[in-house]
Amino acid sequence: MTSRPIHLVLAAGLALGAPAPAQEAEHAAPASAPRAAAPDPLRQGEINRLLREAPDGATVRVPAGIYREHLRIDRPVTLIAEGEVVIDGGGQGDIVEITAPDVTFRGFIVRNTGDNLDHENAGIRAVAPRARIEDNVLDDILFGIDLRESPDSIVRGNRIGGKKLDIARRGDGLRLWRSDRALVESNEMHDGRDSILWYSKGVTVRGNVGHNCRYGLHLMFSDDVTITDNEFAGNSVGIYLMYSTGVRISGNRLLRNRGPSGYGLGLKETDRFEVRDNLVVGNRAGVYIDGSPFTRAKPGLFEGNTFASNDVGIIFLPSARGNEIVGNNFVDNIDQVVVSGRGNLDANRFWRGDAGNFWSDYTGYDADGDGIGDFVHESSTLFENLMDRQPALRLFLFSPAQQAIEFVGRAVPAVRPEPRFVDEVPLMRPVPVRPEVGVDAGARLGLLASSGALLALSAGVFALAGVLPFSRRTDSSQGALS
Amino acid sequence: MTALPASMPAVASAALPRPPGVISSTLTVARRELRDALRSRWFLLYTIAFAALGLGVSFVSAAGTGGTGLSGFGRTTAGLINLILLVVPLMALSAGAASIASDRERGMLAYVLAQPVRTWEILLGKFVGLGASLLASITLGLGACALVLAWKGLRTQPASMLWLAGLALVLALGMLSVGLLISSLARRASVAVGTAIFVWLTLVFVSDLALMAGAVALRLRIEQLFALSLFNPMQVFKMWSLHAADASLDVLGPAALYAVEEHGSRLHALFGACLAAWVLLPLGLAGLCLSRRSPL
Repeated sequence: MTSRPIHLVLAAGLALGAPAPAQEAEHAAPASAPRAAAPDPLRQGEINRLLREAPDGATVRVPAGIYREHLRIDRPVTLIAEGEVVIDGGGQGDIVEITAPDVTFRGFIVRNTGDNLDHENAGIRAVAPRARIEDNVLDDILFGIDLRESPDSIVRGNRIGGKKLDIARRGDGLRLWRSDRALVESNEMHDGRDSILWYSKGVTVRGNVGHNCRYGLHLMFSDDVTITDNEFAGNSVGIYLMYSTGVRISGNRLLRNRGPSGYGLGLKETDRFEVRDNLVVGNRAGVYIDGSPFTRAKPGLFEGNTFASNDVGIIFLPSARGNEIVGNNFVDNIDQVVVSGRGNLDANRFWRGDAGNFWSDYTGYDADGDGIGDFVHESSTLFENLMDRQPALRLFLFSPAQQAIEFVGRAVPAVRPEPRFVDEVPLMRPVPVRPEVGVDAGARLGLLASSGALLALSAGVFALAGVLPFSRRTDSSQGALS
Repeated sequence: MTALPASMPAVASAALPRPPGVISSTLTVARRELRDALRSRWFLLYTIAFAALGLGVSFVSAAGTGGTGLSGFGRTTAGLINLILLVVPLMALSAGAASIASDRERGMLAYVLAQPVRTWEILLGKFVGLGASLLASITLGLGACALVLAWKGLRTQPASMLWLAGLALVLALGMLSVGLLISSLARRASVAVGTAIFVWLTLVFVSDLALMAGAVALRLRIEQLFALSLFNPMQVFKMWSLHAADASLDVLGPAALYAVEEHGSRLHALFGACLAAWVLLPLGLAGLCLSRRSPL
């Protein structure tokens, strides 16, 4: 916010002596540069002209074409792109600024902002309430859609792609600052830094896709937010909640978020949260819980989620107390549940009433057939215990030496570590996986193909050696030797 | 004996028919070795054990997912890596160790060396032949596993099975050359096989456990730990498999994360060079030993 006045002063300075409005002056800046000395073939300032002619509340349709423009929408109008309308910022400054309430901005291609992080150059910036920003494509932008004190706004169906910069020099694809009750729906964010909510209450984030970003979705001090049916894949972190209260997270797909952090879902000092029916697969850590829930107001609830093929299903910091983890699937995580640092999870519960979770590494059985394992599920292996204390020893995972250590841990009770947690009533069958995962026919075919290739290779060697019953016996070798 | 290869060409050009070419005589030895290997009881035993255990791992992990089919690079592939680390080196070491020593014991080595072939052609032939038999065994076992995984609908990456098979073969070749080295040094086949099993035990268990203990006791830094682990071909195979098949070496914690950050795209070359050294150095040493020692 502080950088904005400087920017305007600069623009005003350039505008001195010229009767043009500030936006014109802003784009006059590149014209003075040697690169743009030749007459610009792109249409300049035309959308601004259309805007000036339109009355309040009008619908302005912008004809197809490429516009080199820095647009300020300072009256409540509806701006619609007719066909392919490109607004190019020429690699300088912001591109679209919405300063009036009730503006609709739909269907444009906005590209090529400046890359100045101090000025937070943005593709579309709204500083007034009830903006509707829909179906735009933002490409090669530093910040994408930046709502500053724009409550009740709608950001829907946009595709936001950042600049190809080092992660530290990128801007946020989507940022909401004090924009309560906004709706963020069906957008795609990629190659940006974060999609982030600052101090925004009651926001709904629904059906978005985020990939190759730092944080797929980041909440800072944002309360009563609903996050449903999104997919965050291949980011550093899928969803990270910090200092937020009353967050509902359901039906999201958090996949392959890896790297030094690499959490599907991170919770830092978050309170009154519910995490239901999410699919959390292939992350370094499915969930990372740090000091959440923050108060005793309500237990942190994890129900109906599927944690599969993560390096660690859930990491608890010792500060995490009062979580209820019930009716989830823990499938094939290398470590299902880990306490980072030392300690156990006595302050968290892994079952409620007569139902716990499904554990793919449960070793007990169900003789009475009630769907509940007859033995408690305890997680304690000697090697996991070693890794907790000496993380570098993870290097020996999957090696026979690890198996040897775990065998010793099972065989010699004296060295068996305390269990990290106990699920008294483990489920024998997984709960339905939601959101649903179809059968991956491609992977199956591929597996069949690679199986066929391997078996054919094997058969080829046998045939070459002449040991298959149907192959011709060649004894020329013996002839040559004897 | 050592003078023979040098003097051979002169004699051959004068009176005897030309000796067969390098490739053809190597292949002749290789084919005989391959056929003998495939017909041996040990090969059958190892192959059946490997395939059966691999199928066991596949079925168990398919059952463990409870029919969700959700298995990326989870316990399935981890289990297969573990199995390969146990069985394949043992198979390769004992096959290599048994071959030359038993030939020598039976007088076969002297007999073969009396033919117009060079020592290193025999060695190379044995290496190629036994290597091919290991290839047959590995591909048979892993191919069967892939079939089961596909049938059970597990989402294992198809390419990861191919990577696993290829890297297992490289590991097997390395262990085969170590076996051949042992074999060319030992006088009796039983001693050679015994030594091979001892070497296997060392590489699989003792060195890892010692390195673990050392890492804790000496407070090794992660870069030192990573560097030391590169000396063990088993560790290299394991890390390379994880890196190649799923690009998720960071599973292995801080030391591996350091490796990714520090070496990044060079990791393939690094792991490849380590395993190549395990293939080439012992084989070269074995050739040297063989040519210096009496075949009797």
